[in-house]
Amino acid sequence: MSNEASIHGAGEHAAQREFELEVRAQDMEVNFGPQHPATHGVMRVLVRSDGEVVTGAQAHLGYLHRCAEKIGENVEWLMYLPYTDRYDYLSAMNNNLGYSMAVESLMGIRIPRRAELLRVICVELNRVGSHLIAFGTYGMDVGAMTPFFHCFREREWMMALFEKICGARLTYSYIRIGGLFNDAPPGWLEEVARFCDVFEERWVEYEQLLLSSHIFIQRTAGVGVLSREMALAFGVTGPMLRASGVDWDLRRDMPYSIYAEIFAAGAFKVPLGSGAKGKLGDCWDRTWVRVMEMRESIGIVRWCLAHMVEGPVVGDLPKVLRVPAGESYVAIENPRGELGHYVVSDGGRGSIRTRVRGPSFSNLAVIEELLPGALVGDAIAIIGSIDIVVGETDR
Amino acid sequence: MAGPRSYIFNVVNTLKTTLVGMRITGKYLMRKPITVQYPDERMPIPDRFRGIHYLEQEKCIDCLVCARACPIDCIEMEAVRHGKELEWISFTLDYQKCMFCELCVYPCPKDCIHMGTEYAFVSFDRGDFKHDLLSYQGMAPDARERMREADAKKRAAAAAKAAQLPPGGEALGA
Amino acid sequence: MSTGEGNAFLDLLNAVLPASVPSWIVVPSAAVLAIAVCVALISVNTMFSVWLERKVAGHIQCRYGPMYTGWHGWLQSLADAVKLLVKEDIVPRGADRILFVLAPALALAGILGAMAAYPFAPHVFFADIDLGLFLILALSSVTTIGIVMAGWASNSKWSLLGAMREAAQVIAYEVPLGLALLVPVMIGGTLNLIEASRLQSDWFGMGWFVFKNPFALPALALFFTAALAETKRAPFDLPEAESELVAGFHTEYSGIRWSFFFMEEYTGMFLMSAIAAVFFLGGFESPLTWGLRQSLGEDPGFLNHVVRADGSTQTLIAIGGFVFQLVCALTLIVKTMLGVFLMMWLRWTLPRLRVDQVMTMGYKYLTPLALLCVLGGGLWEWARAGWGS
Repeated sequence: MSNEASIHGAGEHAAQREFELEVRAQDMEVNFGPQHPATHGVMRVLVRSDGEVVTGAQAHLGYLHRCAEKIGENVEWLMYLPYTDRYDYLSAMNNNLGYSMAVESLMGIRIPRRAELLRVICVELNRVGSHLIAFGTYGMDVGAMTPFFHCFREREWMMALFEKICGARLTYSYIRIGGLFNDAPPGWLEEVARFCDVFEERWVEYEQLLLSSHIFIQRTAGVGVLSREMALAFGVTGPMLRASGVDWDLRRDMPYSIYAEIFAAGAFKVPLGSGAKGKLGDCWDRTWVRVMEMRESIGIVRWCLAHMVEGPVVGDLPKVLRVPAGESYVAIENPRGELGHYVVSDGGRGSIRTRVRGPSFSNLAVIEELLPGALVGDAIAIIGSIDIVVGETDR
Repeated sequence: MAGPRSYIFNVVNTLKTTLVGMRITGKYLMRKPITVQYPDERMPIPDRFRGIHYLEQEKCIDCLVCARACPIDCIEMEAVRHGKELEWISFTLDYQKCMFCELCVYPCPKDCIHMGTEYAFVSFDRGDFKHDLLSYQGMAPDARERMREADAKKRAAAAAKAAQLPPGGEALGA
Repeated sequence: MSTGEGNAFLDLLNAVLPASVPSWIVVPSAAVLAIAVCVALISVNTMFSVWLERKVAGHIQCRYGPMYTGWHGWLQSLADAVKLLVKEDIVPRGADRILFVLAPALALAGILGAMAAYPFAPHVFFADIDLGLFLILALSSVTTIGIVMAGWASNSKWSLLGAMREAAQVIAYEVPLGLALLVPVMIGGTLNLIEASRLQSDWFGMGWFVFKNPFALPALALFFTAALAETKRAPFDLPEAESELVAGFHTEYSGIRWSFFFMEEYTGMFLMSAIAAVFFLGGFESPLTWGLRQSLGEDPGFLNHVVRADGSTQTLIAIGGFVFQLVCALTLIVKTMLGVFLMMWLRWTLPRLRVDQVMTMGYKYLTPLALLCVLGGGLWEWARAGWGS
């Protein structure tokens, strides 16, 4: 910089210019991650900021890429199931369901009724668990350390329930092609009912401790406003979309499994953001939608428990699974949004192309638009409210 | 900052929600915690838990179905057949690769490989993780017994058959 | 000296040492003894506060906290201290070495200096300072210099951000802190901590300033909030906002240097709670001390100078006075610890405020409200004094 000044010659003008050049401030480039307490997973967000105000953001992904789609081409149909657990590890049941349904639609087999009901129970309980993490970690991001532990207390019970039914706490591989791997053990359904009752009481506490806290509202209301148009343009789905006022939920609008029946029976309604505390589509709305969805999921679980039937849990399947040739795309409502599985079969023992549409990937794209203009603290709040699971973003 | 009304609302709401929050945290402050003191106390493990495998070696017929079912090919087994009996050399499962998916358990025709409730597998050496599931090597203690019996039976059957045939002269005789 | 006998350290040394020792040795020795006791107190307080914080945090979060080191983990702080002592001393590359090393020392020195005005008991103090409150407020601001130095010298953008936030925050909240303290100062008419405590000994030991003026309670609330901001506790813990800046201004510090910042934080908490206890909640006074005063006399010291028949004085320890001093000290410590506990409880309940909200709260909410309290409190005192008639 001083070289330039000397080139431009001597005199007062040059001295002034030299002063200006040396004093010119540069935007600070800060790396959020890949190791950072607030990015949910191994993700790097390069943030350019002018002191406290963010002027630009760019997400760098790929730190958690594990070639899930390529592996899909190399293993047999049933063998791929454990891999589906691992992309969105917080809602593994949903992933299993999506993949299984994609393959089942190619095979055209019917799933037994009990299996369908148990599937929905597991998927909705998983949704509760996933939203508990989203809510708890979001509290941690904005500074309230305690709701995280309280949320994990409930999640621990949910994981214990899943441990009883399938043997694993996080990567379940329980919903298989054709039904389920095994039936619920005796007493499991009663425990699920007890969980629903206790959870409703605790839900009130979550709302009082964090969601209604004035400081939390000040941190999140009016922050990171995602407009309808931007949400639709970026392909955002899930609670983020609903918080921006777009009334779209795959469980109701493109129903799969038995959701059409559940919705027709009035067992759940879709929570929609309304800008209650700030603007429509802000961080508070997104958190609110997730908290309300937890309650709706408990309602769905209760309906399934009430309509439970006895019966087999796995359809008639050959020993070696061969799926007729064809391609199929099945999208389900993940806790994060639309999780799509696209499988192509050539009649062989495995797929020749498995493509996964991860909702976090599209949801994450909005940070390049939302972050500039926000303060650093807001940047954290916005990234946290998107509820990213990097396993799903990178697969 | 709009108007005195929102000002007062801010102050009052902050105080109110703070006190409500403090009541909840105060409630849990007074309660007994829910955690267990690991490793002195453990959480109960349900029966279906997908832990370290165990093999019922007598039932196993070395059919390799579990090895083929594994998505990661972490099961390797070696046995020498002696007629119907097996002489076991090794049955290893590489826990560096295993993802505890339980896909090996279902296809087993003899229902002999299971996942147990053990989850702690700690070692300082990577070699230890190629865990041998065999409880004994070589042949089963009563295998040789069975082989000898089978052998004896075969010889007896052969002898009986030979005994049934009349002596050469008689058969050709009258 | 405004209260009875003199400094207990000085008196003790005078009583113990032979009279031939000149005063230019005795007085500095008394000072050194006092400083040693102060440092010991701060260390013990830090260790205890750390343990308390972890247990409170644990139980609020439905878990136990430290359990392994001793009964319910009471030795955990000691284990941590040993660990920190044996850690490698890292100075980051590119860091300004002198400032980096000086910063934690300055931060701790400021708060240690402020502790000079803290009285253990009516006769056990380091210095009976007539401007005690003023000294505390002034010296506790020196810590800010240390923190800004730490942020700058770390050669890390994160640290710098934390340090800048800290500077802005402390400046913003100094004003309501001082203003809120004007109310008890008006009620008591003194900045001297011991004197202020003494003035609250009426009404059977419950004549606390907070009961004597209706504006003292809001002033206490405002002071407490401003104190939370001064000591960087939640909801104002931006400078070390864990989830945003990893560890803020002390990201690059490890080992004993980091523990200095820690000590500074907990000592600051202790001191602010102590000010609240002395100026609002009666300090040494409680019905128990009132009762002891009734039986032992107005101001029982724990050294009795008995003049013998031959004219020489003998110094004895008065048991009653000793008990009185002990009860006073314990009362103050209990009140202080309640304040510290409240700070911890709030930390684990509330989320963090964003930096501009911290500023808004300081300048637009706390300061006007504090001014209103001062106005109202002053008018009340004027009325109580008969409108100047």
